[in-house]
Amino acid sequence: MIFKRFPLLFLLFLLGQANAADLTVLPAYVRADPFGQIVEADRSARVQPAARIELTSARDAYASCRLLVTSPQPVSYSLKVSGPLETSLYREWFHYLPRSKRYYPDALVPTPANVRAELPAADNRIASQTAQSYWLDIWIPATVRPGAYTVDAVLESGGVKSTLPVRIQVLDAAVPAEDPILIDHNSYGTGWLLTQYPELVNRTKDFYLSDAFFGLIHAYHRVFYEHRGIYHQLGYGHGGKTGPEFAPRLEGTGKSKHVADWTLFDKHYAPLFDGSAFAGTHRGAKPIPFVYLPVNPEWPASFLWWGQPGYEREFVNVMREMEAHFREKRWFQTKFELFFNHKKRYKGFDWDGDETRFLHDLPHFVEYQRLMKLAFPEDSPVKWVYRTDASWQMERQFKLQAGVINMWVVGDGMFRWYAENAPVLKGRGDIVWTYGGTPRVDESSSHITRDLLEPWMLGVDGFVRWQTVSPGPDPWFKFSGGGETLVYPGGRFGVDAPLASARLKLQRNAMQDLALLDAYKTSATLPAIRAEVAKRYNGTSPSEWRRPRPALADTDPLTWDNVTIGEAVPDDPRFSSGLDAAAWERVSTYVKTLAKERRP
Amino acid sequence: MILTILLLLIAGSAPAQDPLTAELDQVARTATAMVDGDVARGIQTKRSIEMMLEKNPRDHWAAADNYDVDHDAYVATKKTLIRLSKLCTSACDVNLWLPVTGKPDRVHVVIRNVNEISQFWRWGDLDQPMPPEMKAVLESGRRQTVRQRGTMISVLAPVYDSLGDIVGLVEVAASTNPNPQENVQ
Repeated sequence: MIFKRFPLLFLLFLLGQANAADLTVLPAYVRADPFGQIVEADRSARVQPAARIELTSARDAYASCRLLVTSPQPVSYSLKVSGPLETSLYREWFHYLPRSKRYYPDALVPTPANVRAELPAADNRIASQTAQSYWLDIWIPATVRPGAYTVDAVLESGGVKSTLPVRIQVLDAAVPAEDPILIDHNSYGTGWLLTQYPELVNRTKDFYLSDAFFGLIHAYHRVFYEHRGIYHQLGYGHGGKTGPEFAPRLEGTGKSKHVADWTLFDKHYAPLFDGSAFAGTHRGAKPIPFVYLPVNPEWPASFLWWGQPGYEREFVNVMREMEAHFREKRWFQTKFELFFNHKKRYKGFDWDGDETRFLHDLPHFVEYQRLMKLAFPEDSPVKWVYRTDASWQMERQFKLQAGVINMWVVGDGMFRWYAENAPVLKGRGDIVWTYGGTPRVDESSSHITRDLLEPWMLGVDGFVRWQTVSPGPDPWFKFSGGGETLVYPGGRFGVDAPLASARLKLQRNAMQDLALLDAYKTSATLPAIRAEVAKRYNGTSPSEWRRPRPALADTDPLTWDNVTIGEAVPDDPRFSSGLDAAAWERVSTYVKTLAKERRP
Repeated sequence: MILTILLLLIAGSAPAQDPLTAELDQVARTATAMVDGDVARGIQTKRSIEMMLEKNPRDHWAAADNYDVDHDAYVATKKTLIRLSKLCTSACDVNLWLPVTGKPDRVHVVIRNVNEISQFWRWGDLDQPMPPEMKAVLESGRRQTVRQRGTMISVLAPVYDSLGDIVGLVEVAASTNPNPQENVQ
């Protein structure tokens, strides 16, 4: 035995074991890599791991931070989180990005509050890993007494315990239940579940008819809802095919066309429209606020009859049945969106329903409004809205489709040229959301917050992330960056549900702050609050959140291309690459200062 | 022995078709009679054709962004294709393909239908290289059955104009294992 011959070596070995792992903490907006270094994208925040942290939070909200276990050599450890407040602990998965040959944490794997683990984590397959980060959520209920609380994180390794206190100053203020803007997470159909949940699909008979399938859909809604977001699933294709879970089954043709079966539709939607899908969440069981209707040029009326009496008869008969069904079920709190997603470039139909390029396509929208009005009584408690997603022609559409479209989802970059239209649209009662993508994991952590701050600064109602459930073919070991996802399939970890990402949680925490901030606009002027927020966020003024109207805007959009649009207004790095990781933290600090000074 | 030889001869002269393929072939044959090539050629607008041919070197998406059709020609042809698909006893699509004007080595789908079934359509491509099977149909006027992608079967058949020239083709396509969730996106 080597240690008998070299006792000093044995002593050093024991010391090494005893001191093998360290526990430090980072604010939620700063990420560490698997080697204990701050990821490149977040270094601008100039924050290093610390031995303690103090958080401030309003009630009815989450407070979060990141715990970091480090050891220069392989080690076993346990990490236990305990205290007077409800906590949730998640191991952060380190995704390898071949493009930059770097690791970024994002997927959050739920772990027990007392977790035993190894470093390196065998499943993450990083041989030289020396650090494991954990996301810690602390729920501050509305009922808790304001004051100071401590949650202890205790690391035990090699027989040595170390305790890291997470101190939380709970404010008297509570985060309002309602958000001033909606952050929407879009997706398309359910075919992708086959590839994202192969184990669940294989062990479930008739998966697409099963409770497991509908439970999984509801789990997607729930993960976004719990993170103060909403979730959309488009239920039809560019050729008009509807998924059986998105539309009732129809029978007949012409005047005999009718709904034959609501079973799958109701199994899908009833828990979403009555809110029961959200029972047991901190936000409570509330119906979803918006949903796509399955209506498209091929459903419920066959395009075979377009322009003929049969089209109107099929459309109106079925939509009347839908209205009656929804009324009978008392689904009154969800707005049903008449929305066309098809583009003529995909060759399914002869007009653009989405991002309409040619004004000669607009009469189609008028016709569908006429049909919907025939189907839905004006005084129906079932509420439908007419949504269009606009880009090229948006400013002309605002005028030409006034009184037809009442829900606008507009490209965020271009809408900043036309932001003076926001009060006009809002003034006539329209709903206005902007849309765009999702920041990749290798952008600074604050990027995710820009997309919720922008609509609030512009005075509109929400933001749509156009794709949020597509992590790519191998998110775990060859990650493309996460620009089309904010959740990950949990099957790899034995969870038949989506896992939240750290970006989703950062977005949620910012939404909490924004809800609280918005509550103070009665006690301070909104322009002043906006000015302070813009200054703290990225050193701008509110007017800079609009872009100067370019000369291009006054030319015919049919002469534009994507390059001329990009060149029309130069990129302002303060809104993109120049955003530092602490941008939202400065806003958050301001919100909490207001909360200490005032009550909503 | 004689019976065996006779059976082999019969099999060799007319390959046995499964019922689905036989049905698709009948629909394709009918489509050749029903689809009007003059109308089909008038579907894409002149401006859109020009944008597709020229390509914008700065903007890869310019041709797609400017893709446009004549509503009347499109609707009339699509309705014919939908009617043809109703001849199938299970779900099938009848797609219209035309060679790209001035580029005989390229082809583009002009009308797709509800199930979005096709063995040739490459998602998002406005036009694409001419597959040899399509080239053969355009040159010979003979129908071709294609089974090259998954569970799909396609029968290609020519479309004629009023001068008797072949100006395009239809793809009558179905799957032996239809998936209700596929192409709902």
